Amino acid sequence: MNEDCIVFVVDDDLRIREALVELLASYGIPAMAFGSGGEYMHADKPDMPACLLLDVELPDISGLDLQRRIAEHGHPPIVFITGHGDIPSSVRAIKNGALDFLTKPFSDADVMNAIRSAILQDRADRTVRNEMSLLKRRYLDLTPRERDVLPLVVSGLLNKQAAAQLGISEVTLQIHRRNVMQKMAATSLADLVRIAQRLEIPLTDSRRAEESDRA
Amino acid sequence: MTAERFRQYWLPAIGASTVGILLCWYLNEPFGLLAPVAAIYLYAPGRSSWWFRAVWTIALLGSVVAAAGLASGDLGHILKWTAFFTLALSIGEIIELKAPTIFGADALEAMRIVGSMPAYTWSASPDGHATYVSAGTFAYTGLQPATGGLFHLLDNAAWRRIIHPDDYSGLMDKRRESLALNIPFDTELRIRRHDGVYRWFRLFGSLSRDEKGKLAGWYGTMIDIEERKVAEEALQRNERQLQQLIDAVPASIWSTTSEGRPTYVNKRFTQMTGATLEDITAPDGSLRLSVLHPDDRDDAMATFKRSLDTGEPYFKRYRQIRSDGVYHWTETRAEPLRDHNGTVIKWYGQSVDIHASVVAQQALEQSERRLQLLVDAVPAMIWSTTPEGQPVFVNKRFMDVTGTTLADATGPDGMPTLCTIHPDYRADARRMFMEAFATGVACMKRYPQLRSDGSHRWSEVRVEPSRGENDEVLQWYAVCVDIDDEVQANEALRESERSLRQLVETLPAMIDCATPDGEPIYRSKQLRDFLGYNLEELDKEPSRLAATLDAGVHPADLQGVKDRYAHSLATGEPYARRHRLRRFDGEYRWVETRAGPMRDAAGAIVQWNVICLDIDGEMRAQEELRQAQEKLARASQAASLAELSASIAHEVNQPLAAIVANSHACQRWLTASPPNIERAHRTVERVIRDANGAADVVSRIRALFKQSGEKRNISDLSHVIAEVCDLIAEEAARRHTRIAVDVEAEVPQIAIDRVQIQQVLTNLIRNGIDAMDAAAGDKIIHVRVSCQSDDTVQISVSDLGSGVEFPDKVFQPFFSMKEQGMGMGLSICRSIIDAHGGNLWVENKSQGATFAFSLPIKSRTFAR
Repeated sequence: MNEDCIVFVVDDDLRIREALVELLASYGIPAMAFGSGGEYMHADKPDMPACLLLDVELPDISGLDLQRRIAEHGHPPIVFITGHGDIPSSVRAIKNGALDFLTKPFSDADVMNAIRSAILQDRADRTVRNEMSLLKRRYLDLTPRERDVLPLVVSGLLNKQAAAQLGISEVTLQIHRRNVMQKMAATSLADLVRIAQRLEIPLTDSRRAEESDRA
Repeated sequence: MTAERFRQYWLPAIGASTVGILLCWYLNEPFGLLAPVAAIYLYAPGRSSWWFRAVWTIALLGSVVAAAGLASGDLGHILKWTAFFTLALSIGEIIELKAPTIFGADALEAMRIVGSMPAYTWSASPDGHATYVSAGTFAYTGLQPATGGLFHLLDNAAWRRIIHPDDYSGLMDKRRESLALNIPFDTELRIRRHDGVYRWFRLFGSLSRDEKGKLAGWYGTMIDIEERKVAEEALQRNERQLQQLIDAVPASIWSTTSEGRPTYVNKRFTQMTGATLEDITAPDGSLRLSVLHPDDRDDAMATFKRSLDTGEPYFKRYRQIRSDGVYHWTETRAEPLRDHNGTVIKWYGQSVDIHASVVAQQALEQSERRLQLLVDAVPAMIWSTTPEGQPVFVNKRFMDVTGTTLADATGPDGMPTLCTIHPDYRADARRMFMEAFATGVACMKRYPQLRSDGSHRWSEVRVEPSRGENDEVLQWYAVCVDIDDEVQANEALRESERSLRQLVETLPAMIDCATPDGEPIYRSKQLRDFLGYNLEELDKEPSRLAATLDAGVHPADLQGVKDRYAHSLATGEPYARRHRLRRFDGEYRWVETRAGPMRDAAGAIVQWNVICLDIDGEMRAQEELRQAQEKLARASQAASLAELSASIAHEVNQPLAAIVANSHACQRWLTASPPNIERAHRTVERVIRDANGAADVVSRIRALFKQSGEKRNISDLSHVIAEVCDLIAEEAARRHTRIAVDVEAEVPQIAIDRVQIQQVLTNLIRNGIDAMDAAAGDKIIHVRVSCQSDDTVQISVSDLGSGVEFPDKVFQPFFSMKEQGMGMGLSICRSIIDAHGGNLWVENKSQGATFAFSLPIKSRTFAR
């Protein structure tokens, strides 16, 4: 857990900032503190698994609005901390994707658990993201022809069918197929299919394509 | 030589000569030859020859000389002979003169006859000398034969004397003419009488010529025509006058023959018609009616002819032309002039311009027609009676409307039957009419009058006399007008008014009506009962309105009411005000008075209508409500509990959360291996700090009951106070309190919690208002801001109430002198001021109390 990760603390109250940073330090987790939403958004943040501890009552923008704002860009999971704790706010925060909503004063166990979950999540998310970007990179490495071949192959068409559709010989197709497999680092066809699914490559054809179209 | 002449002259001549000769012989004197000389002289032609006269004169002279014996000898003889001739000649003349009388008996007879005639006969010699003049002439003229001249009886000189100078030349002319033309002359002239009066004579003279045709002499006679002349002149004058009359008479006069031929038109005829006698005479001499209007000519001619034939007087009216070309109506009458036999000699006619009269007549007729139409068309019934009251006329409308005629309305005695008047009112009306007729005074009556359908309708009759020159009544004239609708309308109006009045009286509201000046003229029963007195009882005051207000309106409200009311009366704006009004039992009740103007068609105010509603109960309830609200507001100024709790939570949670976090961190540091004492220390410090902060917040909240944060801003005290005054203005006005603010110029801005300080001020001001509630006189709160020293600012709130009874106890919590109120106000205020680092105290003044607080100019921290 103590591997590279970081917690961002955004609260207008200095005392809270200090206390939280201190607490996290006692747990050996590094933290960065910001006094306002704007400060957080404009700051350079290290790229590592992170958690965002966000106060609802901020001077420039409310925490919930900030949540919405940064939703478009990638952001670490949010744990809300607030002195008010009204139900509508908490519902809205969770619906918009926050991980947790804590009211002050909070116990250290609660806050640390939340942080841990957040970091874990973020780690997982990052991993997934990394994988995805890797896959994307690999996909972009494919030649256009290989990119044509890929959807046909994962659609379940036989080689000769795919070749026929593309107007190439089966042999050529096989060569392309092998390249694809290699470039996409797929261990098997099933693996390739999973990769294609993750990349959201549409099924263009299937054996039953005509039938399903007609249906 | 005629026998007569022989007899007349020769015989006497011979006889005289013989005698003469004998005498001469005897006497031896030549005088005897006188006789034959005289005879010669008798035959001598002519007379009055000048040389004859000359000779005669010389001879006369000579004889005188000889007779006187002055001459002798031959001269004497010559002279004697001269005298002798002269005498002879003279004798001849004498004889000649006397010859007729001496020598002719016929002549004498003739002379006698002539002389006895009562005419003034005369004869004259050819040269004009009178040879004979009758005795009458002499008698008339008063001339004497002897005075006429020696040798002639009357000569021209003498004629001249007796003939009027103006006529003499005329006579000469006539004589000359006569001579020239050889005709007798005949002239008229005036001859002087012996008494000097001139009388007119007609002188006839005819020439007498001898056988040879020579002028022998004049013979003539004169006739006294004086009377005739006078008469003639008178006649002429009369004629002239008559002519003038005829011409002056404003009538055209004309005459015609008995056949109708025009013979005369007077001047006026010509003047008027522009036509002369010739114009109206046809070429054949008959009458031509050219002056008549073409359309009238035939008829007039026919009528005239009938008159001519029958001899009946002629009368016609027709249009005759005027000299200006306009036709005028003319009336012509003509009558015949008859002689003693009755035969018509002439027709005399007269035409008179009746145009004006005809036109006037026509106008009169038209006017009469119109008048008649008027009398019948007027929408009123008209009747008239004699001065005694006997009906003489009813107009058409009367007859149509009432269905009665003049006959119906007149009784057998000629007096009115009054049948058109309703029987129940008849006697009274009759009495009134009779009195009017008797006294001559105009009168008026209203009664139900009969209509043609048998019904009766209310009518108003007015009767007035028409008076003559001497103010006597000539006739009575009356007009009847149907007023039934009016009467009905009035009745309805009265009824409506009655019901409205009843309505107003019974409405459960107090109603007042006033003139445009505001003077009350009517009060409804409710209002009268409330006030306890009637409208009239205030009449001793100059103005009812003023009296009412003074007597009834609460003194505190009086001025405001008067001012507003006066404003409404002046501008016409509706009036609405709430004030206290004194009831009959002395109690003042809150009322709402509303007044609205009532305007006429032109928009001018004719009346003010006022309604007064007792809202005492409402007012009290409202007041209670307001006070409760205020209390509530004061007590829970911090709005809702939820907000309060939320703010508490927030205020407290922040430091608590930090405390918790810090505590946990501390624990961690202490249980780490190795324990991080240094960091634990730091966290504990933070814990202490934050805990204190939380405690401060709690105490603040507890003290203030409000949630907003402890914001302190540099503020301008005058703004702060101004905001407070705004907030409290309405309440102050309602309670008739004025707030006077006085801020010293150099007061600096200081850091204060604006809202808190405002709360303090509000509280103090309200207290002041409450303190002056029962005070008489002006209610003023003085708020003063001043610099007390270099580092403090003082703000004081002074009132004019009764002062603070327990100045030391008053800031204690739960201490209150008021019925309502928790007594927290001042203690809270003190806390706030203390928190600001100032002081709050109270001082009693001569009148009222002053609460004052000081604030440090430099801000201090919160630390307690």
